[in-house]
Amino acid sequence: MVYFILKRMVQSVFVMLAVAFLAFSLFRFVGDPITQMTGVETSVADQERLREELGLNDSFVYQFARFTSDMLKGDFGFSYRTRQPVADMIASRIPATLELGVVALIISLLVGVPAGVYTALKPRGMLTQTILMTTLVGVSIPTFVIGIMLIFIFGVQLGWLPTFGRGGTVQIGGWESSLFTIDGWRALLLPAITLGVYQLTLTMRLVRAEMMEVMRSDYIRFAMARGVPIKSLHYKHALANTMVPVITIIGLQFGGVIAFSIVTESVFQWPGMGLLFLESIRFVDIPVMGVYLVVIAFFFVLVNLIVDLLYVAIDPRLRISDVS
Amino acid sequence: MKFMNLAVLGGVLSMSAMDTSAETFRWASNTDPQTMDPHAVNSAPVLSFLNNVYEGLVRRGQDMSIEPSLATSWEPLTGENGWRFNLRQGVIFQDGAAFTAQDVLFSYQRASDEAADVRSWFAPVTDVRVVDDFTIDFVTSAPNPLFPDSIANFMILDQDWAEANDAALPARDAENFATMNVNGTGPFTLASRDPGVRTTLAPNENWWDDVSHNITEAVFTPIGNSATGLAALLSGEIDFIQPIPLQDVAQVESRDGFKVLEGEETRVIMFGFGHEHDALLYSSDVTDANPFTDPRVRLAAAHALDIASIDRVLFRGKIEPASQLVPAGISGFSEANQDRPAFDPDRAKALLAEAGYPDGFSFGLKCTNDRYINDEALCRAAASMFAAVGLNAELSTGPVRDYWPQLRADDFDMYLLGWSPGTFDMEHPIRFLMHSQDDERKLGSWNFGNYSNARVDELLPQIQQEIDPTARQAMIDEVVAITQDEVAYIPLYTQPLIWAAKDNVDLTQRADNFFMLRWVTVN
Repeated sequence: MVYFILKRMVQSVFVMLAVAFLAFSLFRFVGDPITQMTGVETSVADQERLREELGLNDSFVYQFARFTSDMLKGDFGFSYRTRQPVADMIASRIPATLELGVVALIISLLVGVPAGVYTALKPRGMLTQTILMTTLVGVSIPTFVIGIMLIFIFGVQLGWLPTFGRGGTVQIGGWESSLFTIDGWRALLLPAITLGVYQLTLTMRLVRAEMMEVMRSDYIRFAMARGVPIKSLHYKHALANTMVPVITIIGLQFGGVIAFSIVTESVFQWPGMGLLFLESIRFVDIPVMGVYLVVIAFFFVLVNLIVDLLYVAIDPRLRISDVS
Repeated sequence: MKFMNLAVLGGVLSMSAMDTSAETFRWASNTDPQTMDPHAVNSAPVLSFLNNVYEGLVRRGQDMSIEPSLATSWEPLTGENGWRFNLRQGVIFQDGAAFTAQDVLFSYQRASDEAADVRSWFAPVTDVRVVDDFTIDFVTSAPNPLFPDSIANFMILDQDWAEANDAALPARDAENFATMNVNGTGPFTLASRDPGVRTTLAPNENWWDDVSHNITEAVFTPIGNSATGLAALLSGEIDFIQPIPLQDVAQVESRDGFKVLEGEETRVIMFGFGHEHDALLYSSDVTDANPFTDPRVRLAAAHALDIASIDRVLFRGKIEPASQLVPAGISGFSEANQDRPAFDPDRAKALLAEAGYPDGFSFGLKCTNDRYINDEALCRAAASMFAAVGLNAELSTGPVRDYWPQLRADDFDMYLLGWSPGTFDMEHPIRFLMHSQDDERKLGSWNFGNYSNARVDELLPQIQQEIDPTARQAMIDEVVAITQDEVAYIPLYTQPLIWAAKDNVDLTQRADNFFMLRWVTVN
């Protein structure tokens, strides 16, 4: 097991290096940081001096080597736009993104799993058809449209919920949390729903398909013949066996939720990493973009690792095969 | 656990109840000021924001006129070139330190250092001398009648404060104390700052001037997405937003309790040409010549454009056609030359035929798609108008972060540009857009196509130095006449300025798109 984790950790370093390399090779097409950093009246000579100072005239290979060696030393550099340390900027934005992602995930599970079970058990019911139709519509509409629609209904027309930002936050250690105030939850609700809609639909359809599959299997038929109570049959025997693949897929999707919260964060002006990344693109803030992409790659690797471990924990059969 | 949450909750609820009872003014804009350092970045979001906190020797009034601020009066030096500023007495910085001429000298040294982005303002200055605690001389290399106007955004900070906090120079690579903290003399002071999220200002109780606002707290939030910004206004979470997109004007006006503020920005939108190029880069039929070097072809392009239709269809009647590179009302505007080429496709075709292109030709047109209001739509409209006279524009559009490098690399046949005169005088566009490129003397740095006319080059220094307004205007008129005759650029229109606010907010919309909190009253 330790060997397995170590192997994954070593792999993750290579994944991050590869991401950093790809990102760096794309940065030269993003635009010119110097014209974004200076005013219109700045002379061409001053612009060139700044370009030289920032090392932008160095070769691609040299710039990449400098970036990676600084990162390995723990030096994440300074933002071109705000001159702040990039590590601090990203660290201060992580809580917002993680809380949004986790709450979105919880919403999708709390709604998606029961809905999936229900639609599997009553495949021809009126409600089932309605749920399937609604979620199909929900998943077909782009995230930013869902976000804007929710904002205009609940924020502008009804005036129930805030339209942007995090609302009231509480500082706990270095972690700025919106989970401990009513204002914080009010602000969190719409973006979390927006971000969770796709995940919700996926969970529901997955649970439904798996559940229907399991219900047809032999051991359920035998259990039914033996007279196991129908409730226990559905929720204990069938659902438990359904969850193994569901957890895998949902877990793997969570990395994507974090990475692709960019759109939701932009629509709700949610001050997370995604919003920071978007602003950085606008200002060609290469150090921030580089570190963000590497951090996101790390998240992906980490989530995949956790899913692998969970999988092993849930399914006893895998523990045996891992020994070899 | 449950208990603790409830306690935290209760505390937060009572806090937010307190918040709403105060006279808090909330506003949003699409860009966060990059820094709180007044000398580090010469950009409108930074200068506009910091003008609420820091002050200069002079400042601009509601009508953009120059008025006394930290200097009470100024006059030309006798016996040498330059200006003497008599400073206001009894002014204190927000940390309580007294304001003296030494702070002005220090701020000058700081702002003109290589690490400062605003140093170009001080290019004409050769020496700065402190005469006494409240008198300071700025010596210039030549007579410079516009110098006081040109330093309206030169903000003064306290020498002792900056030096004590290791912020004697603007931050270049890493941040320093002045990136996140302020100590100005202005009407507001920084209460908190979370870059990109929220910045809070509080009134400066010790401000020297009469207070006309009634704000007790001002909260600024950058909102990048314009639909989100509009929703925030309409839901009542913010009191004011600048700017809003043209297409949202009707939406705001149709609702009770909100208003749209419209004005003309000083930014003139224009097309420029590759005057120096030997051949077109993006043509499919003329590859060995550059027809745009012929003034008749450039004039034909000007005659092909129907500004009235562009105004009606794309801008809902909110633009002002432009004849020159500054709008009427800006000092130096040439009233003698205020006609622009009329929309006349027949004349355009005749001119093209005369120039040897009876069937027209194709060329590349470069435009931004995120810099000016409706810039991409404008270029599409213009391309179809050009096509109607035989000028087939191959349009390519892109974000501004990628645009200037392309123009600087001469990668265009014709391009779109907007220019706002930083000094609010015609000399500014002449210096940056009409004078030949001269990196050595820092002239013509935005004259991408390198339009070059010896007489214009000769007149620029004279315009910069002429004290007599009539003689100066005569020279400017000559420059404008020359550049119109030669169609150096095709000035199109002045871009509108559109802000939106709640009905109960009174504020002043200044033509430079700066938002001054000291003119805000919430009723």
